[in-house]
Amino acid sequence: MCRLCDIYGDGGVWYLNPANYARQLYRLRQPGEKPKGPEENPERITEAKVSEAISLKMEHPERWEEALREADEHCSRVLAYQVVPLAEAKKIVHIAAPLASMHCICRKMHSGKEETTEEEYSCLGLGVGMLKWERWPERYRGGVHFMSPEEAEEWLEKWDKRGFVHLAMTFGVPYIGGLCNCQYPDCAELRYPKDYGFRYRDTKSHFVAKLDPELCNGCNLCAQRCQYGALTFEPRSRKPTINMLKCWGCGLCDTACPREAIELLSRDSIPVLANEIGYSR
Amino acid sequence: MVVTKIPKIEIDYAKCTTPFACKVCLEACPQSVFAVNATYEKRGMETPKDEPGAWQLNARYRDQCTLCGVCVDVCPVKALKIVTEGA
Repeated sequence: MCRLCDIYGDGGVWYLNPANYARQLYRLRQPGEKPKGPEENPERITEAKVSEAISLKMEHPERWEEALREADEHCSRVLAYQVVPLAEAKKIVHIAAPLASMHCICRKMHSGKEETTEEEYSCLGLGVGMLKWERWPERYRGGVHFMSPEEAEEWLEKWDKRGFVHLAMTFGVPYIGGLCNCQYPDCAELRYPKDYGFRYRDTKSHFVAKLDPELCNGCNLCAQRCQYGALTFEPRSRKPTINMLKCWGCGLCDTACPREAIELLSRDSIPVLANEIGYSR
Repeated sequence: MVVTKIPKIEIDYAKCTTPFACKVCLEACPQSVFAVNATYEKRGMETPKDEPGAWQLNARYRDQCTLCGVCVDVCPVKALKIVTEGA
């Protein structure tokens, strides 16, 4: 079972649990002095640990395994990022409010991409925190664009069509504050598990893709969309094949298939996948 | 020449002073090896792109470098060098 649902689901799916979008509404000032420095925000410590581990790998590759384990363990307590297929992402935009699209910080950092118009904004901020974006113009470079749930559904479809993976992100577990559209290698949340083997930083979706070769006509539209290297073209059958162990359940192959030859199965229905470390506890 | 497992990408910061305004290497690298960060963030303002030193370039993911050399070729101030010598 998904470890995030286990901890934050209240008996259901954690990202469909409205309580996980509500923290900012109910936050009360803690009595006493506010902690200063890194203690103020445990996520910053996690980010620093991940960065330190990756920098250490460059200089001392022999110490990498240990650094990775430690940083990953930290991620498991402080962060909850999960891949969600389009249909699930559309449910999220009807739970969280307000919804505001904004630029992608990963693409700004890693490819210098500046998204400055509503057309270009590829990240979605959720919750009342978005109402005070003007305080930190660098964090929200270019501004934000508020949307209705219906507009957000269309916006998600646009990014899905373009081949971006949707990811629900927490800002202080279990508060879900973002819905990203990610791509490899620019987005850190695809890079960390793929290139560096983080198991707890990002969590696979509740689904896994399965191909019906009888319905598939080998058009190959899906093969270009898999960013996890799970769906590959098989020259012998002239059809794709899906490695379920590598599949993150983003559903991009499913939304591309014109013949509905790909089905998203419940990950929990397949024991070896349901019990995988990182997805389960 | 011995190729190291992880290439070193040397950045001459005396030459590379406004990397977010320039960002030619960031756009060119097929592996997105580079990262650019604001060295400070202030409430109420965007960190200026043209201020020398306000942004810094790092070869954060240089273990993913494939030695294609595109960054070295496109850098307008010749600030980048890929070093693969040594063990």
